[in-house]
Amino acid sequence: MNRKRIYWWGERAVLVLVSCIVLFPILWMFLTAFKRPKDAYSLSLDFSPTLSNFVTVFSDPWNLGDMVLNSAIVASVTVLIAVPCASLAAYSFSRFRVRGRKFLFFLILSTQFIPAVVIVLPFFLMFRTLGLLDTRIALIVVNLAIVTPFVIWMIKGFIDAIPTDSEEAAMIDGASRLRVIKDIVLPMAAPGILTSSIFCFILTWNEFLFALILTRRDAVTLPVGLVSFRTERGDLWELMSAAGVMITVPIFIMALLIQKHFTRGMTAGAVK
Amino acid sequence: MAEVQLVDVEKRYGDFLAVTRQNLTIKDGEFLVLLGPSGCGKTTTMRMIAGLEEITAGNLLFAGERVNDKAPKDRDIAMVFQNYGLYPHMTVADNIGYPLKLRGVDRKTRTARVQETAEKVELGALLKRRPSELSGGQRQRVALARAIVRTPKIFLMDEPLSNLDAKLRVTMRAELKHLHHELGVTTVYVTHDQMEAMTLAHRVAVMREGRIVQLDTPKNIYSEPADLFVASFIGSPPMNLIDGRISGGRFEAPGVSLPVEATDRDKVVMGIRPEDLELTDPASAPISGRVYALELTGDSTLVTLREQGSSICARGPADFEAAINTSCGLAPKPGARTHLFDKDSGQRIDA
Ligand SMILES: Nc1ncnc2c1ncn2[C@@H]1O[C@H](COP(=O)(O)OP(=O)(O)OP(=O)(O)O)[C@@H](O)[C@H]1O
Ligand SMILES: [Mg+2]
Repeated sequence: MNRKRIYWWGERAVLVLVSCIVLFPILWMFLTAFKRPKDAYSLSLDFSPTLSNFVTVFSDPWNLGDMVLNSAIVASVTVLIAVPCASLAAYSFSRFRVRGRKFLFFLILSTQFIPAVVIVLPFFLMFRTLGLLDTRIALIVVNLAIVTPFVIWMIKGFIDAIPTDSEEAAMIDGASRLRVIKDIVLPMAAPGILTSSIFCFILTWNEFLFALILTRRDAVTLPVGLVSFRTERGDLWELMSAAGVMITVPIFIMALLIQKHFTRGMTAGAVK
Repeated sequence: MAEVQLVDVEKRYGDFLAVTRQNLTIKDGEFLVLLGPSGCGKTTTMRMIAGLEEITAGNLLFAGERVNDKAPKDRDIAMVFQNYGLYPHMTVADNIGYPLKLRGVDRKTRTARVQETAEKVELGALLKRRPSELSGGQRQRVALARAIVRTPKIFLMDEPLSNLDAKLRVTMRAELKHLHHELGVTTVYVTHDQMEAMTLAHRVAVMREGRIVQLDTPKNIYSEPADLFVASFIGSPPMNLIDGRISGGRFEAPGVSLPVEATDRDKVVMGIRPEDLELTDPASAPISGRVYALELTGDSTLVTLREQGSSICARGPADFEAAINTSCGLAPKPGARTHLFDKDSGQRIDA
């Protein structure tokens, strides 16, 4: 065997190994979700699958349905507010040579360096004063604060990659700045903005710490709900797994969507 | 339609002076060609007129009105960009029709107008494609069509035909000439192609390092270049420039001795165009040398002679033949122009 083939096989072997390590817990979670309580701790793959775990988690006292709704609303509203704002901000950062632009951008990014645990208490006190504890609004506000800088940074990357030539041409052709954004920039940045939206959704959907501290009963989200399966009677692994599946599946679907769009460039053909 | 005036217009990028105190009046309805080597500031000048580049100092006037701070969209300009600037997500038809769409032209009129314009640039069959599915020359024609689809006050064209094949270039050149005759829109046009400059321009501005060195009709630029730079830049093959001196009413250089009407001085460069020279008997010729190369160009032969390391080129008849290294003579044709320049300053010396 020559060197090239050895490398080829070596590469595959490493890829397979890493995939197994990453995928195994997820596979195990999926299996456990369909097991009966008595099988939950067994390593055997020989069990009779059941959907009863899903029925259980959606009924009293777990009421996973409410949490799905909370998570969905919080994540969607966050995306709907964050992405349009971030797109405009990203465009401005990318195109306008304003004094202090770099510093401002650094400030925005620096919010990402602050560990969440450090600011969770101030947020708690603030929302308690405002009477917004245990509400979706509080979660949306917090998530916006966390996610928007990140999305600005991400979308700016996509807009930076679009040549300005087409925009200039549109301005000469008679378009105002807003019209340029609508007709030229948004369509060209669409795959990037979509990718960022999904990223933003995933971040919000998975957010745990703030949701844990700021909610108690009404606004509990899925990741926090997961913890409630650790009871005094022990950890209810099969129920936790079923809830885990409910969290994971939407994200899986979105990841697939992103992948399709990641590969598509929209700027080809604009310039020489 | 408007007169365009640049008054002491300057453009700096940081410390770098891209355009230096430009003063230029483009008359209403005039076709002005900007000519100059790469990087001399042609595109920058155009972009300032278009409003895409901030003017560092000076004033820009359209029909007497200062427009420095006017947004590009309010200047009523159409522009062909050097690198096209097409809309990659739109079809060719939508690209061409976009300026009309922005002006609220209804769909039916728009479609007709787009079709008509596309025919002019020979793109009629490609209207449904996207820019990424076109060749370079086709993209360039889309950019051209988008500019001429409507009648603006000013046309700005930055090398609009640079990527077309020779035949198409001639066709498009005629198309542009006709369009200008028909509409009479003030036009600023950048090109590296001298034929384009000569055939299209009312006046040519030759630029160098951010300055206009000569602004005149194509004929005058050709027949009376203001300095060595213009002399060597205009004409193909370029003008012969021979270092020498004037003594006793004759220009003297190795292998060259020609009567001139000028006072005696050293450090003179004489310029004479290849087409102003003819082949003569070597014995009595004012210019002589050995044949270095013969190049048949179709309707004529370019003959290059060498004498003591300096070469001189002449345009001879197509059927001219001579062996390499045989000696050969040249003389100015009757009525031909010779040009004298000061070697140090490069300026033209007028008799
Ligand atoms: N954004 C910029 N920042 C700094 N320098 C610039 C910028 N744009 C242009 N220049 C400089 O200004 C000078 C003029 O550029 P310009 O594009 O006008 O040249 P040009 O005459 O159009 O050349 P070409 O024939 O190659 O298109 C060049 O030296 C270029 O390097
Ligand atoms: Mg240029």
